[in-house]
Amino acid sequence: MNSVIKDMVLEHKEDITDSWLKEISKFRSDDMLQNISDKMYENTNLEFVNILILTVQKTNEELEHDELIQFVEKLIQIGWPLNYITRGLQEFRKACVEIISNREENSHNNLEFFKKIEDWIDDIVNLLVTQYSGSWENTVFLQKMALKELSAPLIPVFENISVMPLIGTIDTERAKLIMENLLEGVIEHRSQVVLIDITGVPVVDTMVAHHIIQASEAVRLVGAKCILVGIRPEIAQTIVNLGIDLGKFPTKSTLKKGIESALELTQREIVELKK
Amino acid sequence: MRIPILKLHDYLLISVQVELDDQTALQFQEDVLEKIHEEGSRGVVIDLTSVDMIDSFIAKVLGDVVDMSNLMGARVVLTGIQPAVAITLIDMGIVLDDVPTALDLEQGLDRLQLELED
Amino acid sequence: MQVQTHVDIHSEWGIVAARQAGRKLAREIGFGSVDQARITTAISELARNIYLYANKGQIQIEEATSAGKRGIKIIATDQGPGIKEIRRVMEDGFTTSGGLGAGLPGVKRLMDDFDIDSELKVGTTITAIKWLR
Repeated sequence: MNSVIKDMVLEHKEDITDSWLKEISKFRSDDMLQNISDKMYENTNLEFVNILILTVQKTNEELEHDELIQFVEKLIQIGWPLNYITRGLQEFRKACVEIISNREENSHNNLEFFKKIEDWIDDIVNLLVTQYSGSWENTVFLQKMALKELSAPLIPVFENISVMPLIGTIDTERAKLIMENLLEGVIEHRSQVVLIDITGVPVVDTMVAHHIIQASEAVRLVGAKCILVGIRPEIAQTIVNLGIDLGKFPTKSTLKKGIESALELTQREIVELKK
Repeated sequence: MRIPILKLHDYLLISVQVELDDQTALQFQEDVLEKIHEEGSRGVVIDLTSVDMIDSFIAKVLGDVVDMSNLMGARVVLTGIQPAVAITLIDMGIVLDDVPTALDLEQGLDRLQLELED
Repeated sequence: MQVQTHVDIHSEWGIVAARQAGRKLAREIGFGSVDQARITTAISELARNIYLYANKGQIQIEEATSAGKRGIKIIATDQGPGIKEIRRVMEDGFTTSGGLGAGLPGVKRLMDDFDIDSELKVGTTITAIKWLR
Protein backbone atom coordinates (compact mmCIF):
# COMPACT_ATOMS: atom_id res chain seq x y z
CA MET A 1 0.00 0.00 0.00
CA ASN A 2 1.10 3.50 -0.81
CA SER A 3 3.11 4.80 2.10
CA VAL A 4 1.78 8.39 2.01
CA ILE A 5 -1.76 7.15 2.46
CA LYS A 6 -0.68 4.69 5.03
CA ASP A 7 0.89 7.39 7.14
CA MET A 8 -2.09 9.69 6.76
CA VAL A 9 -4.62 7.06 7.66
CA LEU A 10 -2.67 5.93 10.68
CA GLU A 11 -2.12 9.48 11.78
CA HIS A 12 -5.86 10.28 11.69
CA LYS A 13 -6.91 6.92 12.94
CA GLU A 14 -8.90 8.31 15.84
CA ASP A 15 -10.87 10.79 13.78
CA ILE A 16 -11.73 8.28 11.11
CA THR A 17 -12.88 5.83 13.73
CA ASP A 18 -15.09 8.38 15.45
CA SER A 19 -16.65 9.59 12.23
CA TRP A 20 -17.28 6.05 11.03
CA LEU A 21 -18.82 4.95 14.33
CA LYS A 22 -21.18 7.90 14.21
CA GLU A 23 -22.38 7.02 10.70
CA ILE A 24 -22.70 3.32 11.30
CA SER A 25 -24.79 3.82 14.43
CA LYS A 26 -27.34 5.73 12.31
CA PHE A 27 -27.51 2.80 10.02
CA ARG A 28 -28.61 0.49 12.78
CA SER A 29 -32.10 1.96 13.09
CA ASP A 30 -33.19 1.10 9.54
CA ASP A 31 -32.10 -2.48 9.72
CA MET A 32 -32.77 -5.84 11.24
CA LEU A 33 -29.76 -5.46 13.49
CA GLN A 34 -32.04 -4.12 16.20
CA ASN A 35 -32.30 -7.30 18.21
CA ILE A 36 -28.57 -7.33 18.76
CA SER A 37 -27.58 -5.82 22.10
CA ASP A 38 -26.05 -2.33 22.14
CA LYS A 39 -22.89 -3.62 23.72
CA MET A 40 -22.48 -6.30 21.10
CA TYR A 41 -23.14 -3.83 18.29
CA GLU A 42 -20.60 -1.36 19.61
CA ASN A 43 -17.96 -3.99 20.12
CA THR A 44 -18.46 -5.38 16.66
CA ASN A 45 -18.28 -1.91 15.14
CA LEU A 46 -15.07 -1.14 16.99
CA GLU A 47 -13.48 -4.40 15.97
CA PHE A 48 -14.57 -3.90 12.37
CA VAL A 49 -13.16 -0.39 12.04
CA ASN A 50 -9.90 -1.28 13.75
CA ILE A 51 -9.35 -4.19 11.43
CA LEU A 52 -10.23 -2.00 8.45
CA ILE A 53 -7.72 0.63 9.41
CA LEU A 54 -4.99 -1.94 9.87
CA THR A 55 -5.51 -3.25 6.32
CA VAL A 56 -3.88 -0.08 5.01
CA GLN A 57 -0.51 -1.54 5.95
CA LYS A 58 -0.99 -4.78 4.13
CA THR A 59 -0.29 -6.06 0.65
CA ASN A 60 -2.98 -7.80 -1.36
CA GLU A 61 -1.47 -11.20 -0.67
CA GLU A 62 -1.46 -10.56 3.02
CA LEU A 63 -5.06 -9.38 2.82
CA GLU A 64 -6.25 -12.75 1.65
CA HIS A 65 -5.31 -14.27 4.96
CA ASP A 66 -6.07 -11.25 7.06
CA GLU A 67 -8.02 -11.31 10.28
CA LEU A 68 -10.59 -9.27 8.35
CA ILE A 69 -11.59 -12.48 6.55
CA GLN A 70 -12.04 -14.34 9.79
CA PHE A 71 -13.98 -11.45 11.22
CA VAL A 72 -16.37 -11.32 8.27
CA GLU A 73 -16.73 -15.09 8.24
CA LYS A 74 -17.80 -14.95 11.86
CA LEU A 75 -20.37 -12.24 11.08
CA ILE A 76 -21.80 -14.30 8.24
CA GLN A 77 -22.09 -17.35 10.40
CA ILE A 78 -24.01 -15.60 13.12
CA GLY A 79 -26.25 -14.13 10.46
CA TRP A 80 -25.36 -10.47 10.11
CA PRO A 81 -26.64 -9.05 6.84
CA LEU A 82 -24.32 -8.38 3.92
CA ASN A 83 -25.70 -4.81 4.04
CA TYR A 84 -23.88 -4.14 7.23
CA ILE A 85 -20.56 -5.01 5.66
CA THR A 86 -21.06 -3.11 2.41
CA ARG A 87 -22.52 -0.05 4.12
CA GLY A 88 -19.71 -0.21 6.64
CA LEU A 89 -17.16 -0.15 3.83
CA GLN A 90 -18.89 2.71 2.03
CA GLU A 91 -18.98 4.78 5.17
CA PHE A 92 -15.39 3.91 5.87
CA ARG A 93 -14.34 5.22 2.47
CA LYS A 94 -16.27 8.44 3.01
CA ALA A 95 -14.78 8.90 6.44
CA CYS A 96 -11.24 8.43 5.19
CA VAL A 97 -11.62 10.83 2.29
CA GLU A 98 -13.37 13.46 4.36
CA ILE A 99 -11.10 13.45 7.35
CA ILE A 100 -7.88 13.33 5.41
CA SER A 101 -8.82 15.98 2.87
CA ASN A 102 -9.89 18.27 5.68
CA ARG A 103 -6.77 17.82 7.75
CA GLU A 104 -4.06 17.57 5.15
CA GLU A 105 -3.65 20.72 3.16
CA ASN A 106 -1.31 19.41 0.54
CA SER A 107 -3.67 16.59 -0.31
CA HIS A 108 -6.44 18.91 -1.53
CA ASN A 109 -7.62 18.27 -5.06
CA ASN A 110 -5.14 15.54 -5.43
CA LEU A 111 -6.84 13.03 -7.69
CA GLU A 112 -4.03 10.58 -7.26
CA PHE A 113 -4.74 10.53 -3.57
CA PHE A 114 -8.45 9.80 -3.98
CA LYS A 115 -7.68 7.06 -6.43
CA LYS A 116 -5.34 5.40 -3.96
CA ILE A 117 -8.05 5.33 -1.34
CA GLU A 118 -10.58 3.98 -3.85
CA ASP A 119 -8.23 1.18 -4.88
CA TRP A 120 -7.56 0.24 -1.32
CA ILE A 121 -11.24 0.02 -0.34
CA ASP A 122 -12.30 -1.60 -3.64
CA ASP A 123 -9.86 -4.43 -3.10
CA ILE A 124 -11.37 -5.03 0.30
CA VAL A 125 -14.93 -4.92 -1.08
CA ASN A 126 -14.10 -7.44 -3.80
CA LEU A 127 -12.43 -9.72 -1.34
CA LEU A 128 -15.33 -9.64 1.11
CA VAL A 129 -18.05 -10.04 -1.50
CA THR A 130 -16.28 -13.07 -2.94
CA GLN A 131 -15.99 -14.46 0.54
CA TYR A 132 -19.65 -13.80 1.30
CA SER A 133 -21.07 -15.17 -1.94
CA GLY A 134 -18.86 -18.24 -1.65
CA SER A 135 -20.26 -18.94 1.76
CA TRP A 136 -23.79 -18.26 0.52
CA GLU A 137 -23.41 -20.64 -2.43
CA ASN A 138 -22.11 -23.22 -0.03
CA THR A 139 -25.25 -22.85 2.09
CA VAL A 140 -27.51 -23.22 -0.93
CA PHE A 141 -25.59 -26.30 -2.01
CA LEU A 142 -25.95 -27.88 1.43
CA GLN A 143 -29.67 -27.16 1.46
CA LYS A 144 -30.04 -28.70 -1.98
CA MET A 145 -28.29 -31.82 -0.76
CA ALA A 146 -30.50 -31.92 2.31
CA LEU A 147 -33.57 -31.66 0.11
CA LYS A 148 -32.27 -34.44 -2.09
CA GLU A 149 -31.89 -36.71 0.90
CA LEU A 150 -35.40 -35.83 1.95
CA SER A 151 -36.68 -37.01 -1.40
CA ALA A 152 -39.00 -39.94 -1.37
CA PRO A 153 -37.82 -43.26 0.05
CA LEU A 154 -39.57 -46.41 -1.10
CA ILE A 155 -40.74 -48.37 1.91
CA PRO A 156 -41.56 -52.07 1.62
CA VAL A 157 -44.63 -52.78 3.78
CA PHE A 158 -45.58 -56.32 2.80
CA GLU A 159 -43.92 -58.82 0.55
CA ASN A 160 -44.21 -57.39 -2.97
CA ILE A 161 -45.98 -54.24 -1.76
CA SER A 162 -44.18 -50.92 -1.23
CA VAL A 163 -45.25 -47.42 -0.35
CA MET A 164 -43.70 -44.17 -1.51
CA PRO A 165 -44.91 -41.19 0.50
CA LEU A 166 -44.39 -37.92 -1.33
CA ILE A 167 -43.99 -34.83 0.80
CA GLY A 168 -43.66 -31.23 -0.29
CA THR A 169 -43.62 -29.49 -3.61
CA ILE A 170 -42.56 -31.50 -6.62
CA ASP A 171 -40.49 -29.71 -9.25
CA THR A 172 -38.92 -31.24 -12.34
CA GLU A 173 -35.59 -31.86 -10.67
CA ARG A 174 -37.20 -33.64 -7.72
CA ALA A 175 -39.57 -35.53 -9.98
CA LYS A 176 -36.58 -37.05 -11.78
CA LEU A 177 -35.03 -38.16 -8.52
CA ILE A 178 -38.30 -39.55 -7.26
CA MET A 179 -38.72 -41.54 -10.46
CA GLU A 180 -35.22 -43.01 -10.18
CA ASN A 181 -35.66 -43.89 -6.49
CA LEU A 182 -39.02 -45.40 -7.24
CA LEU A 183 -37.81 -47.66 -10.05
CA GLU A 184 -34.59 -48.73 -8.32
CA GLY A 185 -36.66 -49.51 -5.22
CA VAL A 186 -39.18 -51.55 -7.17
CA ILE A 187 -36.37 -53.73 -8.51
CA GLU A 188 -34.58 -53.96 -5.18
CA HIS A 189 -37.64 -54.98 -3.17
CA ARG A 190 -39.23 -56.96 -6.01
CA SER A 191 -42.41 -54.96 -5.55
CA GLN A 192 -45.41 -55.95 -7.59
CA VAL A 193 -47.54 -53.10 -6.35
CA VAL A 194 -46.37 -49.60 -5.43
CA LEU A 195 -48.58 -47.15 -3.59
CA ILE A 196 -47.71 -43.53 -4.25
CA ASP A 197 -49.09 -41.50 -1.37
CA ILE A 198 -49.65 -37.84 -2.20
CA THR A 199 -51.23 -36.85 1.12
CA GLY A 200 -48.22 -34.61 1.79
CA VAL A 201 -48.19 -32.88 -1.59
CA PRO A 202 -49.74 -29.43 -1.09
CA VAL A 203 -50.66 -28.68 -4.69
CA VAL A 204 -51.33 -30.98 -7.60
CA ASP A 205 -51.26 -28.97 -10.81
CA THR A 206 -50.92 -30.23 -14.37
CA MET A 207 -47.15 -30.43 -14.06
CA VAL A 208 -47.18 -32.44 -10.85
CA ALA A 209 -49.87 -34.70 -12.28
CA HIS A 210 -47.78 -35.15 -15.41
CA HIS A 211 -44.79 -36.24 -13.32
CA ILE A 212 -46.92 -38.67 -11.34
CA ILE A 213 -48.44 -40.14 -14.49
CA GLN A 214 -44.98 -40.56 -16.02
CA ALA A 215 -43.71 -42.23 -12.87
CA SER A 216 -46.56 -44.70 -12.84
CA GLU A 217 -46.08 -45.49 -16.51
CA ALA A 218 -42.40 -46.14 -15.89
CA VAL A 219 -43.32 -48.38 -12.95
CA ARG A 220 -45.57 -50.35 -15.26
CA LEU A 221 -42.75 -50.76 -17.78
CA VAL A 222 -40.40 -52.28 -15.23
CA GLY A 223 -43.17 -54.69 -14.36
CA ALA A 224 -45.11 -53.47 -11.34
CA LYS A 225 -48.43 -51.74 -10.70
CA CYS A 226 -48.98 -48.28 -9.33
CA ILE A 227 -51.84 -47.13 -7.13
CA LEU A 228 -52.17 -43.44 -6.35
CA VAL A 229 -53.43 -42.88 -2.81
CA GLY A 230 -54.03 -40.00 -0.44
CA ILE A 231 -56.24 -38.01 -2.76
CA ARG A 232 -57.85 -35.32 -0.64
CA PRO A 233 -61.13 -33.73 -1.74
CA GLU A 234 -59.50 -30.48 -2.87
CA ILE A 235 -56.92 -32.43 -4.88
CA ALA A 236 -59.68 -34.43 -6.57
CA GLN A 237 -61.39 -31.16 -7.42
CA THR A 238 -58.28 -29.56 -8.94
CA ILE A 239 -57.47 -32.70 -10.90
CA VAL A 240 -60.90 -32.78 -12.50
CA ASN A 241 -61.13 -29.02 -12.97
CA LEU A 242 -57.78 -28.99 -14.74
CA GLY A 243 -59.00 -31.75 -17.01
CA ILE A 244 -56.21 -34.13 -16.02
CA ASP A 245 -56.98 -37.69 -17.03
CA LEU A 246 -55.94 -40.10 -14.33
CA GLY A 247 -58.37 -42.68 -15.62
CA LYS A 248 -55.63 -45.04 -16.73
CA PHE A 249 -54.42 -46.00 -13.30
CA PRO A 250 -56.16 -46.86 -10.07
CA THR A 251 -56.56 -44.27 -7.33
CA LYS A 252 -57.74 -44.58 -3.73
CA SER A 253 -58.59 -41.92 -1.20
CA THR A 254 -56.49 -43.32 1.63
CA LEU A 255 -53.36 -45.38 2.10
CA LYS A 256 -55.39 -47.94 4.01
CA LYS A 257 -57.74 -48.56 1.11
CA GLY A 258 -54.77 -48.64 -1.22
CA ILE A 259 -53.10 -51.36 0.81
CA GLU A 260 -56.28 -53.43 0.82
CA SER A 261 -56.49 -53.14 -2.91
CA ALA A 262 -52.78 -53.97 -3.28
CA LEU A 263 -53.24 -57.11 -1.22
CA GLU A 264 -56.14 -58.08 -3.42
CA LEU A 265 -54.00 -57.60 -6.52
CA THR A 266 -51.41 -59.96 -5.07
CA GLN A 267 -54.10 -62.47 -4.07
CA ARG A 268 -53.99 -61.86 -0.36
CA GLU A 269 -56.25 -60.33 2.26
CA ILE A 270 -56.24 -59.30 5.87
CA VAL A 271 -58.39 -61.57 8.06
CA GLU A 272 -59.28 -61.13 11.70
CA LEU A 273 -58.25 -63.97 13.95
CA LYS A 274 -61.11 -65.75 15.67
CA LYS A 275 -60.69 -66.30 19.39
CA MET B 1 -26.72 -62.78 -34.88
CA ARG B 2 -29.72 -64.74 -33.61
CA ILE B 3 -31.37 -64.67 -30.24
CA PRO B 4 -32.06 -68.17 -28.87
CA ILE B 5 -35.70 -69.04 -28.19
CA LEU B 6 -36.40 -71.74 -25.61
CA LYS B 7 -39.58 -73.78 -25.44
CA LEU B 8 -41.13 -74.71 -22.09
CA HIS B 9 -44.44 -76.59 -22.36
CA ASP B 10 -46.87 -74.13 -23.93
CA TYR B 11 -44.55 -71.20 -23.53
CA LEU B 12 -41.60 -69.67 -25.25
CA LEU B 13 -38.84 -68.17 -23.13
CA ILE B 14 -36.51 -65.62 -24.59
CA SER B 15 -33.73 -63.82 -22.80
CA VAL B 16 -32.17 -61.08 -24.86
CA GLN B 17 -28.49 -61.05 -23.95
CA VAL B 18 -26.97 -59.12 -26.83
CA GLU B 19 -27.03 -55.49 -27.83
CA LEU B 20 -29.93 -55.25 -30.24
CA ASP B 21 -28.99 -53.86 -33.61
CA ASP B 22 -31.72 -53.34 -36.16
CA GLN B 23 -31.03 -56.50 -38.11
CA THR B 24 -30.97 -58.69 -35.02
CA ALA B 25 -34.22 -57.13 -33.83
CA LEU B 26 -36.01 -57.80 -37.11
CA GLN B 27 -34.61 -61.32 -37.33
CA PHE B 28 -35.81 -61.86 -33.77
CA GLN B 29 -39.33 -60.73 -34.68
CA GLU B 30 -39.42 -63.21 -37.52
CA ASP B 31 -38.01 -66.06 -35.42
CA VAL B 32 -40.51 -65.58 -32.59
CA LEU B 33 -43.50 -65.64 -34.94
CA GLU B 34 -42.11 -68.68 -36.77
CA LYS B 35 -41.61 -70.51 -33.47
CA ILE B 36 -45.12 -69.68 -32.23
CA HIS B 37 -46.47 -71.10 -35.45
CA GLU B 38 -44.31 -74.23 -35.21
CA GLU B 39 -44.97 -75.02 -31.56
CA GLY B 40 -48.50 -73.66 -31.20
CA SER B 41 -47.32 -71.71 -28.14
CA ARG B 42 -49.89 -69.89 -26.03
CA GLY B 43 -47.54 -67.56 -24.22
CA VAL B 44 -44.20 -65.82 -24.67
CA VAL B 45 -41.94 -64.22 -22.08
CA ILE B 46 -39.29 -61.86 -23.40
CA ASP B 47 -36.75 -60.99 -20.74
CA LEU B 48 -34.94 -57.70 -21.26
CA THR B 49 -32.85 -57.63 -18.05
CA SER B 50 -29.58 -57.36 -19.97
CA VAL B 51 -30.81 -54.75 -22.44
CA ASP B 52 -29.41 -51.35 -21.53
CA MET B 53 -31.02 -49.28 -24.28
CA ILE B 54 -34.28 -49.34 -26.18
CA ASP B 55 -34.69 -46.68 -28.84
CA SER B 56 -37.85 -45.93 -30.80
CA PHE B 57 -37.01 -48.48 -33.49
CA ILE B 58 -36.49 -51.35 -31.07
CA ALA B 59 -39.53 -50.25 -29.08
CA LYS B 60 -41.54 -50.43 -32.28
CA VAL B 61 -40.23 -53.90 -33.11
CA LEU B 62 -41.06 -55.12 -29.59
CA GLY B 63 -44.53 -53.59 -29.72
CA ASP B 64 -45.06 -55.20 -33.11
CA VAL B 65 -43.94 -58.59 -31.82
CA VAL B 66 -46.54 -58.31 -29.05
CA ASP B 67 -49.35 -57.33 -31.44
CA MET B 68 -48.41 -59.93 -34.04
CA SER B 69 -48.13 -62.69 -31.46
CA ASN B 70 -51.53 -61.72 -30.07
CA LEU B 71 -52.94 -62.10 -33.58
CA MET B 72 -51.49 -65.60 -33.66
CA GLY B 73 -53.09 -66.40 -30.30
CA ALA B 74 -50.06 -66.09 -28.05
CA ARG B 75 -49.85 -63.63 -25.15
CA VAL B 76 -46.54 -61.87 -24.66
CA VAL B 77 -45.13 -60.52 -21.41
CA LEU B 78 -42.04 -58.30 -21.33
CA THR B 79 -39.91 -58.69 -18.21
CA GLY B 80 -36.89 -57.10 -16.61
CA ILE B 81 -37.02 -53.69 -18.27
CA GLN B 82 -34.33 -51.73 -16.43
CA PRO B 83 -35.22 -48.47 -14.63
CA ALA B 84 -32.91 -46.42 -16.88
CA VAL B 85 -34.51 -47.95 -19.97
CA ALA B 86 -38.03 -47.34 -18.63
CA ILE B 87 -37.25 -43.69 -17.85
CA THR B 88 -35.76 -43.17 -21.31
CA LEU B 89 -38.82 -44.67 -22.97
CA ILE B 90 -41.13 -42.44 -20.92
CA ASP B 91 -39.00 -39.39 -21.78
CA MET B 92 -39.35 -40.24 -25.44
CA GLY B 93 -43.10 -40.52 -25.03
CA ILE B 94 -43.14 -44.24 -25.75
CA VAL B 95 -45.55 -45.89 -23.34
CA LEU B 96 -45.99 -49.42 -24.82
CA ASP B 97 -49.57 -49.10 -23.65
CA ASP B 98 -51.07 -52.53 -24.10
CA VAL B 99 -47.98 -54.56 -23.38
CA PRO B 100 -48.11 -56.68 -20.21
CA THR B 101 -44.96 -56.42 -18.11
CA ALA B 102 -43.45 -58.14 -15.09
CA LEU B 103 -40.39 -57.68 -12.91
CA ASP B 104 -38.55 -60.86 -13.88
CA LEU B 105 -38.87 -64.18 -15.66
CA GLU B 106 -40.53 -65.85 -12.69
CA GLN B 107 -43.19 -63.19 -12.21
CA GLY B 108 -43.54 -63.05 -15.98
CA LEU B 109 -44.57 -66.70 -16.07
CA ASP B 110 -47.08 -66.08 -13.25
CA ARG B 111 -48.45 -63.14 -15.14
CA LEU B 112 -48.85 -65.23 -18.30
CA GLN B 113 -50.74 -67.85 -16.35
CA LEU B 114 -53.08 -65.17 -15.03
CA GLU B 115 -53.59 -63.67 -18.48
CA LEU B 116 -54.39 -67.05 -19.96
CA GLU B 117 -56.87 -67.93 -17.21
CA ASP B 118 -58.97 -64.85 -17.97
CA MET C 1 -8.38 -32.61 -22.22
CA GLN C 2 -11.05 -32.64 -24.90
CA VAL C 3 -12.11 -36.10 -25.94
CA GLN C 4 -13.66 -36.59 -29.34
CA THR C 5 -14.98 -39.55 -31.23
CA HIS C 6 -16.11 -39.73 -34.82
CA VAL C 7 -18.24 -42.55 -36.13
CA ASP C 8 -19.10 -42.84 -39.79
CA ILE C 9 -22.64 -44.03 -40.41
CA HIS C 10 -23.04 -45.89 -43.66
CA SER C 11 -24.62 -49.13 -42.49
CA GLU C 12 -26.74 -50.31 -39.60
CA TRP C 13 -23.56 -51.33 -37.82
CA GLY C 14 -22.60 -47.70 -37.61
CA ILE C 15 -25.63 -47.14 -35.39
CA VAL C 16 -24.37 -49.72 -32.90
CA ALA C 17 -20.82 -48.38 -33.05
CA ALA C 18 -21.99 -44.80 -32.44
CA ARG C 19 -24.07 -45.62 -29.41
CA GLN C 20 -21.34 -47.77 -27.90
CA ALA C 21 -18.89 -44.92 -28.31
CA GLY C 22 -21.45 -42.56 -26.78
CA ARG C 23 -22.06 -44.76 -23.77
CA LYS C 24 -18.35 -45.09 -23.16
CA LEU C 25 -17.75 -41.34 -23.21
CA ALA C 26 -20.88 -40.63 -21.15
CA ARG C 27 -19.62 -43.03 -18.51
CA GLU C 28 -16.16 -41.45 -18.54
CA ILE C 29 -17.60 -37.98 -18.11
CA GLY C 30 -19.48 -39.26 -15.07
CA PHE C 31 -23.11 -39.57 -16.12
CA GLY C 32 -25.32 -41.88 -14.05
CA SER C 33 -26.95 -44.96 -15.52
CA VAL C 34 -30.22 -43.21 -16.39
CA ASP C 35 -28.49 -40.38 -18.24
CA GLN C 36 -26.22 -42.89 -19.96
CA ALA C 37 -29.33 -44.61 -21.29
CA ARG C 38 -30.79 -41.25 -22.37
CA ILE C 39 -27.61 -40.26 -24.21
CA THR C 40 -27.15 -43.66 -25.85
CA THR C 41 -30.77 -43.68 -26.99
CA ALA C 42 -30.50 -40.16 -28.40
CA ILE C 43 -27.39 -41.15 -30.36
CA SER C 44 -29.17 -44.22 -31.65
CA GLU C 45 -32.09 -42.13 -32.90
CA LEU C 46 -29.81 -39.59 -34.60
CA ALA C 47 -27.66 -42.28 -36.19
CA ARG C 48 -30.69 -44.14 -37.44
CA ASN C 49 -32.10 -40.98 -39.00
CA ILE C 50 -28.85 -40.52 -40.91
CA TYR C 51 -28.95 -44.10 -42.13
CA LEU C 52 -32.64 -44.00 -43.05
CA TYR C 53 -32.82 -40.64 -44.76
CA ALA C 54 -29.34 -39.72 -45.94
CA ASN C 55 -27.71 -43.18 -46.28
CA LYS C 56 -24.47 -41.88 -44.88
CA GLY C 57 -23.16 -39.28 -42.57
CA GLN C 58 -21.22 -38.84 -39.38
CA ILE C 59 -21.79 -38.77 -35.65
CA GLN C 60 -19.32 -36.77 -33.62
CA ILE C 61 -19.34 -37.16 -29.85
CA GLU C 62 -17.30 -34.91 -27.60
CA GLU C 63 -17.02 -33.51 -24.13
CA ALA C 64 -18.68 -30.11 -23.76
CA THR C 65 -17.89 -27.40 -21.21
CA SER C 66 -19.62 -24.11 -20.57
CA ALA C 67 -19.63 -21.76 -17.60
CA GLY C 68 -18.25 -24.39 -15.28
CA LYS C 69 -20.66 -27.07 -16.46
CA ARG C 70 -19.56 -30.33 -18.05
CA GLY C 71 -21.53 -32.35 -20.50
CA ILE C 72 -21.57 -34.41 -23.65
CA LYS C 73 -22.20 -33.02 -27.10
CA ILE C 74 -23.47 -35.01 -30.04
CA ILE C 75 -23.23 -33.61 -33.54
CA ALA C 76 -24.99 -35.57 -36.28
CA THR C 77 -24.11 -34.44 -39.80
CA ASP C 78 -25.23 -35.70 -43.18
CA GLN C 79 -25.21 -34.51 -46.76
CA GLY C 80 -28.63 -35.96 -47.44
CA PRO C 81 -31.79 -34.44 -48.89
CA GLY C 82 -32.40 -32.11 -45.93
CA ILE C 83 -35.62 -31.84 -43.95
CA LYS C 84 -38.52 -30.19 -45.71
CA GLU C 85 -40.80 -29.69 -42.74
CA ILE C 86 -38.72 -29.12 -39.62
CA ARG C 87 -41.74 -28.06 -37.63
CA ARG C 88 -43.54 -31.27 -38.45
CA VAL C 89 -40.66 -33.65 -37.74
CA MET C 90 -40.55 -32.18 -34.24
CA GLU C 91 -44.17 -33.21 -33.66
CA ASP C 92 -44.85 -36.37 -31.74
CA GLY C 93 -46.15 -39.13 -33.93
CA PHE C 94 -45.12 -37.62 -37.26
CA THR C 95 -43.30 -40.22 -39.33
CA THR C 96 -42.37 -40.80 -42.92
CA SER C 97 -40.66 -44.12 -42.25
CA GLY C 98 -43.43 -46.10 -40.55
CA GLY C 99 -41.72 -45.76 -37.16
CA LEU C 100 -43.23 -44.47 -33.94
CA GLY C 101 -42.59 -40.84 -34.82
CA ALA C 102 -40.81 -40.46 -31.49
CA GLY C 103 -37.33 -39.96 -32.91
CA LEU C 104 -36.44 -36.27 -33.10
CA PRO C 105 -38.92 -34.93 -30.52
CA GLY C 106 -37.73 -37.80 -28.33
CA VAL C 107 -34.09 -36.77 -28.73
CA LYS C 108 -35.04 -33.22 -27.80
CA ARG C 109 -36.66 -34.42 -24.60
CA LEU C 110 -33.83 -36.79 -23.73
CA MET C 111 -31.17 -34.07 -24.05
CA ASP C 112 -30.88 -30.58 -22.53
CA ASP C 113 -29.95 -28.50 -25.58
CA PHE C 114 -31.13 -29.30 -29.08
CA ASP C 115 -30.46 -27.51 -32.33
CA ILE C 116 -31.35 -28.49 -35.85
CA ASP C 117 -29.99 -26.93 -39.00
CA SER C 118 -31.13 -28.24 -42.35
CA GLU C 119 -30.96 -27.11 -45.94
CA LEU C 120 -32.78 -28.85 -48.75
CA LYS C 121 -30.49 -30.87 -51.04
CA VAL C 122 -27.48 -29.84 -48.95
CA GLY C 123 -27.83 -31.73 -45.72
CA THR C 124 -28.70 -31.63 -42.05
CA THR C 125 -26.74 -30.97 -38.89
CA ILE C 126 -28.24 -31.72 -35.52
CA THR C 127 -26.47 -30.73 -32.31
CA ALA C 128 -27.61 -32.00 -28.94
CA ILE C 129 -26.03 -31.53 -25.51
CA LYS C 130 -26.66 -33.17 -22.17
CA TRP C 131 -25.22 -31.45 -19.09
CA LEU C 132 -24.03 -33.21 -15.96
CA ARG C 133 -26.48 -32.59 -13.14
